[in-house]
Amino acid sequence: MPTFTSSAADTSRDGPVVHRSTKRAAPSRSGRPPRAKKFGHDRRRAAVLMLAPSVIHLVWWIGIPVVATFALAFTDYDILAGTVTFNGLDNFQEIFNDETWNASIWHTVVFTFFTVPVAMAIAVVLAILLSVKMRAAAWYRTAVFMPHVTATVAIALVWMWMFEPRLGVVNTMLGWAGIDGPTWLADPDWALTAVIIVSIWKGIGIKMLIYLAALQAMPEDVYEAARIDGASQIRQFFSITLPLLKPATFFVLVVSIIDSFQAFDQLYVLTPDGGPGNSTTVMTYEIYRTAFKEFNMGAACAQSVVLFAFLLVLMLISRRLTGKEDDVR
Amino acid sequence: MSAEKLLRGATARGTLLANRPLLARRLRRTTLHLVLVAVSLAMVVPFLWMVITSLKTDPDLASYPPNLLPQVWDWSNYSEALEYAPFGTYFRNSLLIALGHTALNLALASMAGYALARVAFRGRTVVFMGVLATMMIPTYTKIVPQYLIAKGIPFFGGNDYLGRGGHGWLDSWWGLIVPGALTPFAIFLFRQFYLSLPRELEEAARIDGMGEFGIYARVMTPLVKPAIATVALLTFESSWNNFLWPLIITSDTDLRVIQVGLSAFQQADQNAWAYLMAGTTLATVPMVVLFLFTQRYFVQGFANSGIK
Repeated sequence: MPTFTSSAADTSRDGPVVHRSTKRAAPSRSGRPPRAKKFGHDRRRAAVLMLAPSVIHLVWWIGIPVVATFALAFTDYDILAGTVTFNGLDNFQEIFNDETWNASIWHTVVFTFFTVPVAMAIAVVLAILLSVKMRAAAWYRTAVFMPHVTATVAIALVWMWMFEPRLGVVNTMLGWAGIDGPTWLADPDWALTAVIIVSIWKGIGIKMLIYLAALQAMPEDVYEAARIDGASQIRQFFSITLPLLKPATFFVLVVSIIDSFQAFDQLYVLTPDGGPGNSTTVMTYEIYRTAFKEFNMGAACAQSVVLFAFLLVLMLISRRLTGKEDDVR
Repeated sequence: MSAEKLLRGATARGTLLANRPLLARRLRRTTLHLVLVAVSLAMVVPFLWMVITSLKTDPDLASYPPNLLPQVWDWSNYSEALEYAPFGTYFRNSLLIALGHTALNLALASMAGYALARVAFRGRTVVFMGVLATMMIPTYTKIVPQYLIAKGIPFFGGNDYLGRGGHGWLDSWWGLIVPGALTPFAIFLFRQFYLSLPRELEEAARIDGMGEFGIYARVMTPLVKPAIATVALLTFESSWNNFLWPLIITSDTDLRVIQVGLSAFQQADQNAWAYLMAGTTLATVPMVVLFLFTQRYFVQGFANSGIK
């Protein structure tokens, strides 16, 4: 045992030792001036070796897949035979003839339209309240942020239990108020609403955190100047705080929309198989269904391309908006 | 800071404020706390309800209206749940994968980040731009080919040299660990931290005859501990909570991670709520505990990365 550990320790030091010896050998072989060159050469070689695993990994697992998604979207990929045949725009024709897919686009938009702004509004108010100096602030912040660090699947299961029509907490509480709650996840009219509620609840934490960071970075002197000029608190809020929160707002908006377009876990768990009457199926779920239940890879890639197009347009729009903001400043 | 002034009724620091009645200030302060307590409760109650449910007996669960606290604190639910479904195996799998991802990501991304930050070589900008580009690729723009690549790894899972015939890395530890072992964001974060270190340090080490790898491992990396902590926590968190990738590449029960196991358990057994909540508690408690003790790094990391 001792011999083994000592040898292991030796090998762990081998890397640097080898480098050092080659470097020491360098001047004797090539004299002084080339030494610097040799140095740079060794450094570059080391850098390439250190980068290589990451670059290979990124090319293999991200670079190639992205290109392949766009290529496969125009092919018929037979997963059993492993053959690929070009079929032009057939996949796109196929998916847009599918009513469920078209409905899923609409559901994605509705889901995002309600989830993002509501969560952002709550988040900004919370961030402003929490930036007041008080001892308990850290506790409140922890509580609000908790849903973000815990697994979406686990959280969705808890909410599923809370949405249980008869014994769930939600309907029990509605009962106290004299409201006869719907069956939520089993009701085509309410299922998406339930998913949206869960997503808002989960999404507040991270948005609040970004706002909080923005608030903490606000320049003190501007407020001081405003105070000296006699601006009221309310005036300061509307003329300084809100305008200065604009970049953060754009950032949160973009990231949240992109995230929301890609929501999957909570939808998969809360409303399996696209929900009652496919009422909660979203683009991501359709991609999952087409690729991994029907194994129609070509069509799934076509759907991925459509989702990518949506995200790209959203990103370009927001970049234009934020870009303009930068110009003004 | 700004909000302090906005709601400065609470702070009593401003001069304008000094003559405001004490009562009004107290009232404001109380309202503020009431609002925040209400919101915090809304955030925490589902977690509490999860734990409470996991400790209830079956008749207790079926009673209407629901009891706020368990009539009997039935701790045996946990041991029964572990027997009823292989939550223990799921938990172990998740833990091994999350630890593997964390270790690999730290090693690979810190080396890459160091090379990009500290060594000038031709093509460095291109590589860095490439890393930034991969950061922005949405999951669903790569997931289908990723699956096909995992399925088509040559010589694995009965595949021939062209990756045909078998199932490759599907249903294997390789497939669960390798594809998610590196995140471009980690490379980016490490690069930013290494960039901020002074040049004198590496020059001194170089004069002492240390090689590039030695400088990276023994001089520079000990100085970027915050980056290590942030990357480690974020990687562990996203790996532990990951669902889609393990869902699509595993069908073998022995290889299920806890999130997939929970979802499968619920779909198979729609009414075993106590057991399900016991399993859910097992799946959330490690992250909650980790988060409570390392909040600082989490918060920094998330604020840096925006979202995930």
